[in-house]
Amino acid sequence: MKKLSIEAKVGFFVIIGILILGYMSMRIGRFKYGPDRGYEVYGYFDSAEGLVKGVPVQIAGVEVGRVLDITLEDGRAKVALLLKPDVTIGEDVEAAIRTKGVLGDRYVELILGAPEAPPMKPGGSIKRTASPANIDTLLKQLDSIGRDFKQITGAISGVFEEKEGQASLRIIVDNLRDLAQTLNQTVQKNNENINRILDNFTVFSTDLREISSTNKESLREVVANFRQASDHLGKTIIAFKQITDKINRGEGTIGRLIQDEETVDTMNQALVSLREIAEKINRGEGTIGKLVQDEETLENINATLTSVNDFLQKEEMFRTYVDYRGEYLFDSDNMKSYLSLRIQPKEDKYYLLQLVDDPAGRTKKTVTTRTVDGVTTTEIKEETEKDDFKFSAQIAKRYYDLGLRAGIFESHGGVAADYYLFDDRLILSMEAFNFNEDEDPHLKFKADYTPFRHLYVTAGFDDFVSDEGNEFFFGAGLHFSDEDLKTLLSGAPIPH
Amino acid sequence: MIQLIDIRKSFDSQTVLDGLNLEIETGKITVIIGQSGGGKSVLLKHMIGLIRPEQGEVLVEGVDIARLNDRKLNDMRKSFGMLFQGAALFDSMTVGENVAFPLQEHTRLKQKEIDEIVQQKLLQVGLRDVAHKMPSELSGGMRKRVGLARAIALDPKIILFDEPTTGLDPITADAIDRLVVDTQKHTNATCVVISHDIASTFKIAHVVAMLYQGKIIEIGPPDAVKSSQNPAVQQFIQGTAEGPMLDYHLLNI
Amino acid sequence: MVKLGIIIRLIETVGRGLIRFIEEFGLVMFLFLASLVWSLRPPVRIRAIFKQMEFVGVNSLLVVLLTGIFTGGVLAFQAYHGFRLFSAEGLVGSTVALAMTRELGPVLTSLMVTGRAGSAMAAELGTMRVTEQIDALYTMACNPIKYLVVPRVIAGVLMLPVLTIIADFVGIIGGYLVGVGLLQINSGIYVAKMIEIVELEDIFNGLVKAACFGLILSLIGCYKGFYTSGGAEGVGRATTQAVVIASVCILISDYFLTAAMF
Repeated sequence: MKKLSIEAKVGFFVIIGILILGYMSMRIGRFKYGPDRGYEVYGYFDSAEGLVKGVPVQIAGVEVGRVLDITLEDGRAKVALLLKPDVTIGEDVEAAIRTKGVLGDRYVELILGAPEAPPMKPGGSIKRTASPANIDTLLKQLDSIGRDFKQITGAISGVFEEKEGQASLRIIVDNLRDLAQTLNQTVQKNNENINRILDNFTVFSTDLREISSTNKESLREVVANFRQASDHLGKTIIAFKQITDKINRGEGTIGRLIQDEETVDTMNQALVSLREIAEKINRGEGTIGKLVQDEETLENINATLTSVNDFLQKEEMFRTYVDYRGEYLFDSDNMKSYLSLRIQPKEDKYYLLQLVDDPAGRTKKTVTTRTVDGVTTTEIKEETEKDDFKFSAQIAKRYYDLGLRAGIFESHGGVAADYYLFDDRLILSMEAFNFNEDEDPHLKFKADYTPFRHLYVTAGFDDFVSDEGNEFFFGAGLHFSDEDLKTLLSGAPIPH
Repeated sequence: MIQLIDIRKSFDSQTVLDGLNLEIETGKITVIIGQSGGGKSVLLKHMIGLIRPEQGEVLVEGVDIARLNDRKLNDMRKSFGMLFQGAALFDSMTVGENVAFPLQEHTRLKQKEIDEIVQQKLLQVGLRDVAHKMPSELSGGMRKRVGLARAIALDPKIILFDEPTTGLDPITADAIDRLVVDTQKHTNATCVVISHDIASTFKIAHVVAMLYQGKIIEIGPPDAVKSSQNPAVQQFIQGTAEGPMLDYHLLNI
Repeated sequence: MVKLGIIIRLIETVGRGLIRFIEEFGLVMFLFLASLVWSLRPPVRIRAIFKQMEFVGVNSLLVVLLTGIFTGGVLAFQAYHGFRLFSAEGLVGSTVALAMTRELGPVLTSLMVTGRAGSAMAAELGTMRVTEQIDALYTMACNPIKYLVVPRVIAGVLMLPVLTIIADFVGIIGGYLVGVGLLQINSGIYVAKMIEIVELEDIFNGLVKAACFGLILSLIGCYKGFYTSGGAEGVGRATTQAVVIASVCILISDYFLTAAMF
């Protein structure tokens, strides 16, 4: 086996580092050994607070699966549970979000229903759910209960403290004793009757329970709806009342206007003249009237407005950028300039057109083969045209923080990758182009940093695999979008 | 070619060179003799700009290198070759890479051409088939040869030798002496050798200069120096402990 | 009067130490600026940089892997005992991940690399200094800062973040193995809490730190080697000092970097 070169080792090593960084930063993967097996069921909770993906699902404290996903659906939390294939639950299962310990982690507990209930199918949803008890609301409830309780005890103690109260209390107690005695006698007398009544009552309550349990959902809904409706109504009435109160008091603009007789007169006059104008327009008098009465004009205006609207909407996404950058090349003591136009039809896509003024010039290579008397001679002629511009035309697409470019780079075919960091303030780019067979590819690494909105600085290392042209550069650039240009152009004061 | 005018240099308040004047003749071997620790190496390092004097001028082809900036000094150094006392070969490189190093740094030659020059230079110092070896595999004499091959890789006009025979057995020392003479004949370079080895000095020198107490106290052809009237020179040539020169190190005890 | 003498001697000693410290600091700064300037001057020695990158980065992989995985593991162990008191074992994962990415990954990696590569830099450059190889570079019109220091500093700055991200990753895996495998913490909670709490910023700030530490350790290693004097003994002293000073500087600067970042 051939020994690895130093470059290969270092390259391999760095690539491993970058891969790990990419893996960790994108957080796509989890530490998993193989894909998950099992089936999914769903539960809808009023609140899935504190619940995170991947936490366990338990039945009687035994882990049977985990939370796969949490999404919002119609204002409720839809929690997808992945259960192990050998776990069966009935359709009457109840799901509750529980907390392990006081400050511990949330998990989902399943409480099984009757054993004879039909089993839940994959993709089914759990009917009964209980959301986690929020400590805050719990404490608040406890607080209000305590307050009520205090009031009651306060009232009772108030009753006991007064002499009158004590006397009446005694009377009550006496009455109660009498009542109990009478009741006792009555009961003893009517024992049979009472028994019958009680039986009837039992039957009735059973019926009632059945009715209410079958119609429980709808009942609850009705009550809830009613409560909501009355809530709204109450609020509306209050608001309305406040407004009318204000108006009556002459507060606010409208209030003052109505209270002021002069205003009312003026308004009346204005309304009269308005009506006159409208009548004129209706009759087709005056320019506007004619325009309004003319059907064709109306249609035209409509069409124009529609197309303007469309255009404006498209315009919102469409962006054009103009960019100039200059790079100072340390070794050759030269400036390399780039003027580019970037057309960006979508946020994640753009086309780049660029003119490059390279002091190194463009090298043209012509190979001529001549055969004279069976002897073949190959002539390679290299011409460097100093004044010639190079051009670039690229298409770019962005995935998250990674942008890819392909196309023509300085008059050669190539590809590039950009890595966007810190809200796109720092862009690290690697370009590779000119893949001629007999030359090393041209590799360029650069870092652009944008400290201010339209100005950026750049530094990098150009053509670093070649022995001849490799050099460091440092430079700066200006960057304007069409919006900026618009403001720049229209920003000049216009005399009135 | 090299002229040192009124050079003064001291380290930690100890004066090493004290208004030294010296002129090195072009195309000759000049041997500077003197006591160990007497400032010979310091003097040599002044000539190539490794040490800058506190006072005075170091003129190489009329240019004061003590006042040059780094870039110009480096240009100047390309016409120098230097053989260090311990050869100063780069441990991390093979012998071949060591000799090729200045070529790779300062020429645009292709690898194949460099390889050829390396072979030729190694042959010139009497070495064959060592290019792939590491410096640690070589003996002291061989290392010095490689060091010399590296020093002459760019065909310098001036070659400096820092005690080339120190630490070698007499036979190897003699071989190195011959190599110095041969190299000078071959390249016609100006050679400056510092040494305290009297035998080898008189074998190779065209000019001998004696450094004592920070000054050149005697300079001239070997015969003239041999018959010098200066007692310090005589004492050094005779190699006796008694005389105006005291053992430098004994003074400190 | 005797007391006054003692005080004067004390001030002298402290002052001398202070001046020495400022002097050394200035020299390190000089080396830093010089290497910055030289790293921008062509030609760039790609091969020399790659060689140092291999030495600093690739060859430190094993020691960093071991450090990372066992640190993560022991961290999970210790955090578990604390969190169990609150029945919040699920937070072990995020604790391990945060500690690794923010602190332990960069710091421990840098300390290990200081011991391995920082000392080697000091020893290598120190040996080159005492055997006149650095002088030889000068005489061959090569700037030793460019040839020796720049590749090492660049390698340090580039490789430490790579090593750190690897240490972060294996540390988290080590914590996972101990937490989930050994201590039976639910893997869903473990991973979910980790993903929930650790931010991308934590990882990136850790890597920025690592790059700073890489600069510190390579710069101090090179500095101590470059200005070595006193033969073999001097090389030994330079090596020891390089490790001690670089380690202390890493820990001190870690505090300030953390204060500035989080």
